[in-house]
Amino acid sequence: MSSNQEPGMGSYVGIVIGLMIIVVIEVILTYQHLPVRTLLFSLLCLASLEAFLGIMYLMHVKYESPLLFWTIFPATLFVLVLLNYVWPDAYRMARMGLGK
Amino acid sequence: MSETELAMSTGHEVLMEASPYGIEKKKLGMWFFIVSDACTFATFLFGYGYMRVGSQNWGTPFEFGTILNGILMTFVLLSSSLTMLAAVRATQSGQKASANKWLGLTMLLGTVFAILHLREWFKMFGEGWGLFSNPTGGTTQFGACFFSVTGLHLAHVISGVIALLIIMRGYNRGRYDSSHVETAGLYWHFVDLVWMFVFPMMYLMNAR
Repeated sequence: MSSNQEPGMGSYVGIVIGLMIIVVIEVILTYQHLPVRTLLFSLLCLASLEAFLGIMYLMHVKYESPLLFWTIFPATLFVLVLLNYVWPDAYRMARMGLGK
Repeated sequence: MSETELAMSTGHEVLMEASPYGIEKKKLGMWFFIVSDACTFATFLFGYGYMRVGSQNWGTPFEFGTILNGILMTFVLLSSSLTMLAAVRATQSGQKASANKWLGLTMLLGTVFAILHLREWFKMFGEGWGLFSNPTGGTTQFGACFFSVTGLHLAHVISGVIALLIIMRGYNRGRYDSSHVETAGLYWHFVDLVWMFVFPMMYLMNAR
């Protein structure tokens, strides 16, 4: 029941090649010996970009009803934000030297 | 309610309202499964982050050879997404032979991914790595996190290959149609996209 505006296989090949290029960029960044926080932030941004491209194009969300997007993604994002409650305790463990 | 908003099931004479999402219920069900599974993977990755931040001696044990294997695994999985898309297209246009070819190739690439993954695992076991052991003398939580997260993903890939095999058999026997293949494809792409987070977090962040 997807819409008929879906792209051809050529576009999909382009998207997958784009995803492969992002993976190569991630590997290059890894060997630039960046500070851990900068590397983590960069890798998370690139991985999120890959996920966005994959969800919108490979999983066809771009061609489905916008209601599907607005039903699923805010709820998922909400869970991901809530999961950040762990960090204060992780830093407490690090400060106290508990994690041997 | 207009006539176009109604769908009549054949045989049972039951009037049903059309889905507000404009997709079949099995596809919507798969989306809800994907959301819950994404939360499962997120919990594992957050747990890994928690242990890593809280550990004094985490270490970065992966040599370039391991990273190279990871890149190869990533490319294999991304290619399998492309073959899955081709399989969905073939089923939608009723090309059974082509659909079988692309589905077979997708399963083959999934199997190659699993073999590469297990090869890496057994190499690590040989070096003394395990769920509760770290041969470098660092925290044992590294092995617990690495094998848990990558193991969960590997279980998804193997399940996906089995699911595709069942769907392909059903499709060939006329039990399943293109919408079933498309729904299985959603799961396959999800497993692929999860790897886009697992690879940088578990491999690249632990590269020497």
